[in-house]
Amino acid sequence: MILVTGTNGKTTTTSMIQTMLSDSKKKVISNSTGANMYAGIVACFVDNYSFSKSGGEKYAVIEVDEANVKFITEIISPKIITVTNLFRDQLDRYGEVYTTLKKILEGVEQAPESKLVLNGDESLLGDLGLPNEAVYFGFDTAIDQNTKIDINADAKFCKKCKTPYKYYYLTYNHLGKFYCDVCGYERPALRYSLDKVVELTPDGSMVEINGNQYYINVPGTYNIYNALCAFSVAKELGLENEAIFDSLKSQKSSFGRQEIIDIDGKTVKIILVKNPAGYDQAISTVSLETDKINLVTMLNDNYADGRDVSWIWDVKFEKLSELDIEKVFVSGIRLYDMALRLKIAGLPVEKFMISESYEELLKGISQTESDKVYVLATYTAMISFRKFLNSKGYIKELW
Amino acid sequence: MEKVKMELNICHLYPDLLNVYGDLGNILTLKYRSEKRGINVNISNISIGDSFDPKEYDIVFFGGGQDYEQSIVSSDLSETKKFALSEYIEEGKVLLAICGGYQLLGKYYTTPEGEKLPGLDILDFYTESGNTRFIGNTVIYNEDFKETYVGFENHSGRTHIGSMKPLGKVVAGHGNNGEDGYEGCIYKNTYCTYFHGSLLPKNPELADRFIKTALEGKYGDTVNLEPLDDEIEHKAKEFVIQRESKKK
Repeated sequence: MILVTGTNGKTTTTSMIQTMLSDSKKKVISNSTGANMYAGIVACFVDNYSFSKSGGEKYAVIEVDEANVKFITEIISPKIITVTNLFRDQLDRYGEVYTTLKKILEGVEQAPESKLVLNGDESLLGDLGLPNEAVYFGFDTAIDQNTKIDINADAKFCKKCKTPYKYYYLTYNHLGKFYCDVCGYERPALRYSLDKVVELTPDGSMVEINGNQYYINVPGTYNIYNALCAFSVAKELGLENEAIFDSLKSQKSSFGRQEIIDIDGKTVKIILVKNPAGYDQAISTVSLETDKINLVTMLNDNYADGRDVSWIWDVKFEKLSELDIEKVFVSGIRLYDMALRLKIAGLPVEKFMISESYEELLKGISQTESDKVYVLATYTAMISFRKFLNSKGYIKELW
Repeated sequence: MEKVKMELNICHLYPDLLNVYGDLGNILTLKYRSEKRGINVNISNISIGDSFDPKEYDIVFFGGGQDYEQSIVSSDLSETKKFALSEYIEEGKVLLAICGGYQLLGKYYTTPEGEKLPGLDILDFYTESGNTRFIGNTVIYNEDFKETYVGFENHSGRTHIGSMKPLGKVVAGHGNNGEDGYEGCIYKNTYCTYFHGSLLPKNPELADRFIKTALEGKYGDTVNLEPLDDEIEHKAKEFVIQRESKKK
């Protein structure tokens, strides 16, 4: 079993590892729809009951919610546990990054035999003081000139001596090549390194990992991390570079993760947004677009989205005002909170289309001039909007 | 004579440490609403090791943080800023303290582990730890201003303000301690509350009150702020009020 956890990127990374395994002709199952709580994982194994009876080498690539790691490791000792990153998330549930880390570690402590594949650029994951073998991946190159951490980023203070970290470079949020000039704690040595970013486009990225070039068929820096994480797990499992190369090149987006839907000739991309770090990355990815676009933001506050919508004030929507935007559609349960956030961020209110119903939203989208539409939606907003599109015949498969 | 352009100096205390729950929205709102009226806004980020000069600022914002970061703040505050902050508050200048910042201004607070930590002891209230966390949308009513405020609370501390004036009476939610029906605390022009949400975007009356009070204190003259189009603000606020009233 390979267990994938962390705040952002679990679903995409899990899907990438699964594809790499099946492209390597291995037998593999996965909870690929993102049902990552205890019940969802049990259901995945029940569904695949016959798989367990089949002979030969078998893999289960399982995405697990941070607080549920311990329920899995109580029963199973995974071959590999991988942690993507830690960001402030839905604060009404787990709250702080240190609480989230603690929950993950409670799970890891029950599995001392598991190999850990960890994001080395995540300062919270270095020197864990555990008996497990730990392998790190990270960026060995800067994406831009950024060495100064944003005042609002997470985990800025040395976890050992509370001094502010310094950075040779930052990739995004608090991820990067960090060091503490007081106690000497620094980014661990990397076994798998991203050596070069050749090109970033709105459709994908060309990168160099451990000396070889790969095209990642999903865009954005955060997806380079997902690919690097999947690559590292695949190499630890002994998979060949060719299969990894093919998998990344043809990687399909998971549902609601950069999924592309055709609505009356318009290319509609749906991007799931859950927390400030992920939302900032989504905005950076949308910003790679050079054409005029339409933007749809959908904010819900159901349990799975987080009941507290305060987090939108930590997202840098100000960056959107640099883009060539035709219309800004706002929808979801907390649409007025979102509209207010965008107004304060300096987006022109006269371009706002605040839609209380999906019918109205769909009508608005179909009447725009530009053919490119980006939908940034929280979890339950994404699910319900997809259901709506399904009922209108725009999406064939719900899952 | 040409009218002199007014200016507001806002101090954001420990923005790098006390910055969870979107409290940055309060600063962004003060800036937005001031600039719409042609008022210049300067924001100073004051953190560990920086000195705090009470004369330099017109509005101070003091937010809440994660436990790890709050422990770093606590010692720096009492070492370098306690007296200056006390002077600022006593002079009647505008300060907004939220959640952790609120608790730190009082006599003491106890952690969930039972440890009793001294506060700055500037204001006469204290905070005990509770067994459960108060999490959810909140609505309160301020009888003096005849205004309703909405927000989102998320705290395990139970604050007891004694005979001090609250920010409002709880209409929905838990408030300071879940017992006495009050939320927050007002002392002179220092406003304390547990409201995230963020507080000021959806409560523009309160944001304007801070701006007006700060300007009048600074320029010694009555200031009338021109009204802004707050349709979106009011709809966002009304949504919370309606939903919470339906729950009853």
